[in-house]
Amino acid sequence: MDFFSNIGLGFSVALSLTNIFYCFLGALLGTLVGVIPGLGVLAAISMLFPLTFHLEPTTALIMLAGIWYGTTYGGSTASILLNLPGTPANAVTCLDGYPMAKQGRGGVALFMTTVASFFGASFGIILLTLFTPVIAEYALQFGSAEYFALMLMGLVAASTISEGSAIKGLAMVVLGIIIGLVGMDTQSATIRYSFGILGLLEGVSLIALAMGVFGVAEIIMSVRRVKTADIDPESLKLKAIKPSRDEVRRSWFPMLRGASMGSFFGTLPGTGPSIAAFLSYAIEKRISRTPERFGKGAIEGIMAPEAANNAADQTAFIPTLSLGVPGSATMALMLGVLMIHGVAPGPNLISSQPELFWGLIMSFWVGNLILLLLNIPLIGVWVRMLTIPYHILFPAVLAFICIGAFTSGFSPLNVWMVFAFGVLGYLMRVFRFPGAPLLLGFVLGPLMEEHFRRAMVLSRGDFMTFFERPISATIMALTGLVLIWGVVSAERSRKRQLLSEGEVDHTPEATDRPT
Amino acid sequence: MYRIDYTDLVGGVLLVALGAGVSLVAIQSYPLGTLQRMGPGMFPAILGVVLGGLGMLLALQALRRTGKRPDIRVFSPLFVLAGVASFALLITPAGLIPAIVSIVVISSLAELRIRPVSLALLCLALCLMAPLVFVVGLGLPIPLIRWPF
Repeated sequence: MDFFSNIGLGFSVALSLTNIFYCFLGALLGTLVGVIPGLGVLAAISMLFPLTFHLEPTTALIMLAGIWYGTTYGGSTASILLNLPGTPANAVTCLDGYPMAKQGRGGVALFMTTVASFFGASFGIILLTLFTPVIAEYALQFGSAEYFALMLMGLVAASTISEGSAIKGLAMVVLGIIIGLVGMDTQSATIRYSFGILGLLEGVSLIALAMGVFGVAEIIMSVRRVKTADIDPESLKLKAIKPSRDEVRRSWFPMLRGASMGSFFGTLPGTGPSIAAFLSYAIEKRISRTPERFGKGAIEGIMAPEAANNAADQTAFIPTLSLGVPGSATMALMLGVLMIHGVAPGPNLISSQPELFWGLIMSFWVGNLILLLLNIPLIGVWVRMLTIPYHILFPAVLAFICIGAFTSGFSPLNVWMVFAFGVLGYLMRVFRFPGAPLLLGFVLGPLMEEHFRRAMVLSRGDFMTFFERPISATIMALTGLVLIWGVVSAERSRKRQLLSEGEVDHTPEATDRPT
Repeated sequence: MYRIDYTDLVGGVLLVALGAGVSLVAIQSYPLGTLQRMGPGMFPAILGVVLGGLGMLLALQALRRTGKRPDIRVFSPLFVLAGVASFALLITPAGLIPAIVSIVVISSLAELRIRPVSLALLCLALCLMAPLVFVVGLGLPIPLIRWPF
C-alpha cells in the first residue's frame, strides 16, 4: 500500500492551489514559447527562472517542468500551420501535418495531435511513476566510481549521439566542465579561474550561461531570417476539428507505438524527444501498407511522432530524478535549478524529499490535463501569436533576458556574463559547435570532479578502480561502445551528407555580409 | 566550398590554444597534489590536455576534407551584443527604465531598419510591463529611474 500512499501524497502536493496555479502558468507559457518559432525551451526556462526564485523548490520545479512539456504541445501548432517546427521535436510533424492543413484539415490535425500528445504523455508518466523509485533504490548502492562512470557515460552519449561531429560534442562537454570549475573549489577552498573578479567566487551563473548561449546567440542567428507567419484563415476551419471515424481508427496503433518508442528513447542520454519522433515516423512509414500516403497528409504521420515526443518529455525525468544524471540540456537545467534551490539530486532524492518527487510527478497529470483543455478551445489564440513579427519579439525577449539575469543576483556582473556567453554562443554557431553538451558538462562538471577525486582517494590513486568494480566496469564498457558507435556513425552521416549536397551548394548562407 | 575545412581548422586551433591556457594556469597557479590526494589543479590540468587533444584531432581532420563557407554575420551580433552591454552599463547608475529603452533601441538596429512608431510603442509597453511584473508583482528592489549626475 506504500505505493498508493505515495501517490496520494503526490496528489495532495500537486493539487494545492498554489501548485495548480503555477502548473497552469508553466503550461501556458510553455505552449506560448512552443508556438513561436525562434524561441527555444532552454532560453524560455532560463528567462523565466528568476520568477521562480521566491517560490518553494517544488512549486518552482512544477512550473519549469510545465514549460518543458508545454512547448512540445505548442510546437506542433507551428509545424502544422506553417510548416515551421516550433521546437526541433516537432520537426517531423511538418511532413504530414502541413499537407493536412493545406487540404483544409488543419483543425483535425491540431485536435488529433493534442490527443496524441496527451496519450503519449500519460504513457510516459505511468512509466515514470513505476520505474523511478525502483531505479533509485538500486542506485543507492552506487559508490563514487559508479557515479563518475555513469556521468561520463551520460556526457559521452549526449555529445556523440545527438548530431554532427562527435569530436566537437566532446570538446564542448570538456569546455563546459572547465567553465564549471570557475570559483571556489569545495574541497580545498582554492579559488580557480576567477581572474580577480570578486563576483566569480561563487562560480559562473547557470542562468547567464543558458541565456547567453541559447537565448542571445539564437536571437543573433534569427534576426532578419525568421519570416512572420502568413496564415490563410481558410486552412483553419475550427468547426471542422472533428476527425472522421476512419481517422480515429487509424490513429490508435501509431499512437501506442509512438508512445512506447518515445518512452524508451526519452530515458537514454543523448536521444530524447527529437530522435524519438523521427524514429517513430520512420517506423510507421515502414510498416504501413500504404506508405505512399505519407508526406501527403497521413494521420499516422502526425499521431506517432507527437505521442513519441511527449512520452519522451516525461520519461526524460527518470534518469534525472532517480540517478541525478540528466540526459539532455533541458534536464541539466532542471537539475541545476534544483541545486540552486538547495536540493541535492541523486538516488536519495525520493526518500529525502518525497513531497517534491511525488508532487512533481503528479503535477504532470495536472499539467497535461490543463494542456489538453487549453489547447483545443484556444487554438485560435495560439495561431494569433504566430503573427507577432520577429522585430517586435526579439528586443522584448532580450530585455527580459537581461532583467532576468540582473535580478538573479542584483549585480550587473550577471548581465556581463550573459554578454560573454552570447559572444561564446555566437562563435560556437559560426564554428558549428553544439550548445547542449556545453550546458550538460557545466552542470555535471563539479559533481564529476568531486566523485573522481573521492574515487581516487578510496582506490589510493589507482585508475583501475573504474574498471574493477563490476557495475562501474559495465558502465565504462558501454561508454566505450557508445563512443565508437558515435564516431563511426557521425563519420558515415557526414559522408552521406557531402555526397547528397556535393555540387548543389549554392544556397546563400550568410545574408547580412556587407557587400 | 573550400578545399579544406577552414571552419573546423580554425575552431580546432582555438580549442588547442584554450586547452593549453587552461592547463598552464592550472599547473602554475594551483597545487596539483598526487593522484591519491588530488589538489585543486589536477582536474583542470587533465581537462586542458583533453580539450587541446580534441582540438588537435578536429584540426587534423579538417585538413583532409572540404568545407563549407562559415555563416558569419556582422551587424546582428554587433547590435544585439551592444544592446546587452548597454543594459549592463546603465542598470546600476541609471535604473531599469533607461536600461530597457537602450537595449530595445540598440538591439532593434540589428534589423538594419528603423521603425520609429513600432519601436516607441514597444519601449512604452516594456517600460510599463517590466516594472509591473518585477517590481510590483514580485516585489524585487530594482530602482526604476535614477539621475546619475
